[in-house]
This record gives sequence, structure tokens and C-alpha cells, in this order.
Amino acid sequence: MTRARLPRVAPVIAVVAAAVAVPLLSGPAHGVEPHAADVHTNAASLFASLGASPRPAFAPGRPQLLSRNTPEYRWATVTRPVTARGAPGGGSAVAALSTRTPEGTTNLVLVLGSAWRHGVEWVHVRLPVLPNNSTGWVPRSALGGYQFVTTHLVIDLHRLRATLMKDGRPIFTAPVGVGEPQWPTPRGEFYVRDELTDYASPFYGPIAFGTSARSSVLTEWPDGGFVGIHGTDEPQLVPGNVSHGCIRMRNSDILRLAKLMPVGTPLTIE
Amino acid sequence: MAMNDEHEEAARPDDLETSPEELMAMLAAIDVDGALQETAAAAVRATRREVLRSALPLAGAMGAGLLTAGAASAAGGLTANDTAILRFDLALEYLQAGLYTEAERLGAVKPRTLGFSRVVGAHERAHVRAIKGFLGSKAVPSPSFDYRGVTADDAAFVKTAVAFEDLTAALLKWQAPRFDSRSIVAAILTLHSVETRHAAWIRHIVGVLPAATAFDQPAPQNQMAELVASTHFVVSGWSTIAAKRKPGFMG
Repeated sequence: MTRARLPRVAPVIAVVAAAVAVPLLSGPAHGVEPHAADVHTNAASLFASLGASPRPAFAPGRPQLLSRNTPEYRWATVTRPVTARGAPGGGSAVAALSTRTPEGTTNLVLVLGSAWRHGVEWVHVRLPVLPNNSTGWVPRSALGGYQFVTTHLVIDLHRLRATLMKDGRPIFTAPVGVGEPQWPTPRGEFYVRDELTDYASPFYGPIAFGTSARSSVLTEWPDGGFVGIHGTDEPQLVPGNVSHGCIRMRNSDILRLAKLMPVGTPLTIE
Repeated sequence: MAMNDEHEEAARPDDLETSPEELMAMLAAIDVDGALQETAAAAVRATRREVLRSALPLAGAMGAGLLTAGAASAAGGLTANDTAILRFDLALEYLQAGLYTEAERLGAVKPRTLGFSRVVGAHERAHVRAIKGFLGSKAVPSPSFDYRGVTADDAAFVKTAVAFEDLTAALLKWQAPRFDSRSIVAAILTLHSVETRHAAWIRHIVGVLPAATAFDQPAPQNQMAELVASTHFVVSGWSTIAAKRKPGFMG
């Protein structure tokens, strides 16, 4: 029924409704024909006595569609020790993955894709091992649930700047300190895998992010020589080539970044 | 809307260039008579109980008593009873929204299932937003989920969706007369009819009669809690943020 037709049929509906409602609600008329005016009056009072319907306490509103034009990345925790392979379904061993990071947090990997082999799903993941930029395949069953992020951190070693992208747009930029020439910050594709807070070390500032990037020079460094992104107690050195390979920020900047960048964010160092 | 997918292959999201407007028109575009005819011709290949049973081995136990959250103290006119029921519903909506969102993001299920996931996921996310906003500080936070490969396996996914949609509709029927507030009943009814449409839609996709009974029976909360627990979809015990641990990075 169109809206335009509604006014013409509305009176008819009202009369029919009243004719039906009055006998139903007031019982049989026992041969007494109600007067037309009485029908209208009785129906109106009966409907009014029902009261207004309660207003819904909440309304879902419009459906929340996913954006289809912004980059998304996914990661997963490592739920059991597993050997990453060179190909889905097998291949040579690339690296051993443990369930914990050197910092004691749950280990995670950035997911690049998946493939099925002989009824088993294998996941292509970026690995936190040397050589940097290594990838491998692990069974889906060795990983936890997928988590999704739309952020991407880019470190420009030439301009000495960090830029955080979200939904494909820059939302944060800050100067950084990076590795000295003899201890260069490695280039490549990595990811942020944990966040440390409330530790007593002014050297690292108030917050430190662990990444999957590792120094290819300081390979004997305790805890594996991983590249961190952290604050500093020497802000006057930022920007500059001042570190052992880590990415340093002024404390106000790392605090701002921590509010914007979730763990699992891909990291590009170029 | 074409319903024949005998030769469907798994599709990536980019393969389906459907605008949001088209997506939202999908529900309205279903030819109900045709759907019923097709389903009737296909006969009932699985009963609801069989479908539900097939979803149960998806495994697991609920995390930290989330779905059995006890009655919270009343706030903002909400009774403790209504708060507790809505918190249960919010947790369930989180789980369902996450399920459909992951299926849509992975794009590994068949195109027809993917279309269902896009629309229903948009609805469930709206439900989350509405209930969470209404509960305010009484809202439970979203737990972490591990859908254990279901979102990448079309057969497992549709069976899981049938189980959840059928039971959600039955659950809301059970809850409605138990609310203290008629305004909340009015709100829940706006969700209930949508959930029943979801149930009919996914039942049609999986080849089960969309409207199998003349009267639907309510299902209690513990039945839904058991289903959720059996899937092991709710996970805990991991942390990527740590306090009081001195970094060992190179500096």
C-alpha cells in the first residue's frame, strides 16, 4: 500500500476496526443495534483506555557495516610451540616459535595469508627471527583467534620520523632517534608484538613496545637483540642516529603513540 | 535474488563488489515464496537438533563465568534483574558480532554465506552498540574469541550460525516475559524479530526448512550458555601488555 493511498482508506479501516472491536471488547449486543455515533465514541474510549505503548528502552539504529576501503591486518597468538615451515603442509624448518616472548608476554605473529593442504589449514606468518623479513607457515591449530587492526606504523630512517597510519590515513607523526651507523636499525617489514609499562627504567622512558625486528649486528645481545620502540631520558638526542638500533621517541610522543597504536600493528622500517 | 550456489567457490571480499545499499537490500530482495518452494523441494535434510548437535563438537568452555554474570546492582532505573539479563545478551551479541565480522573479513566462505555474514554482522554490531550504550557503566567488556577455524570453513560456519540464530530467537522469547521493564521488552522485541529473520535466512542457506514449526518454543539462558561453552569460542589467559617488566631491548 502506498503512502498516497493511506488517507483515503484510513477512515474505512477505522470504521471496520471499531465495528469489530466494540462487539469483541464489550460482549454480545443481544440484538441491540449500536448507534453509529455510539460506535465511534465507544471505540475511541476503548482504544484510549489501552494507553500508549511503552517506548523501547533502546534502539539498535542503523546496521554497522564494515568499511571495505581501508587496509586491515590480522594477527594471532601462538598457543603451542610450533616449527614454522617453508611451505604449507611441510617443507624445511624455518624457525621455532614459542608461546612467550623474551619479555614474558604471549607471543604473536602477523598473519599474511592461509592455504589448505590435505584438509589442514596452514597460515602464512611473519616471523620474529633472523634474518629479518623471514616468513613461514604454521598449522592454524597452533594459533589462537584472529585479532584485527587497521593501524600501520612507518619509520622513515632518512627523515628520522615515525608516522602512524589508521584506516589508510596518517594520525600521528613524531621525530625519532634510530641506530648509529655501526648498529643500524634494520629495514623491512615487521610488527609490534607487545607493550611494556610501569617499569623502573628512565632509559626506556614510560612505555616500550617490543617488535619482531632484530639487530643483524648485535646478535649476542641479551634477550635476542630485539628492536624496541620506546621513550628516552635524553630527549635532546631526538631526532638523530643515536641508538643501538632501537627507535627512540620523546616521552610525550611515546605516550601519545601508546593511545593510538594497538599491539599487532604492522611496522615498516624504510 | 539467485539462490542456486551448487558451483560456488570460496570468494575473497574483493570479488564481491556489492555496495552497502545493495547489501542492505539483500534481505528485502529475497523472494519468500521461491525460497519456500526451493526448501520444500529439497525437503528437510537435517533437523534443528541435528544441526545443533553438529555444532556442539566445535568445543570448549566459557571464560570466567562471563555469560553467567550475576545480577548487578540497579543503576539509572535499571533493576538488577534487567541488568543481569541484558549483560547476558550483550555478551552473546559480542560473540555473534565477532563471528560474522571475522567471516566477512576473511572472505573464505561461499559467496551466499558471505553475503549473509555481511548483513547479519552489521545487525549484530548495531545490537552490540545499542545494548552496550544502554547499559553504560554496567556493560560487560568484550572477551577475546577464537572461532577455531569455523569462519574459514563454510560447512562449519553455516551450521554454527543456524545453531546460534535459532537459539538466540528462542532465548529472547524466554527472556521477554522476565524483564521488569516493559520498555526493555519493547526494545527486545525489535531485536527478536530480526533474529528470527536471521534464523530463517541461514536455515534456508543450509537447506533446512526456514519456518519449521507453527509455534516456537522459548529456550532458557542456561541452554545458550551450554552452547557457547561447548564451542570454546571464548578464550582467555593471554596478554600482550605487561607491567613491571624492564625491557631488554637494545636501547
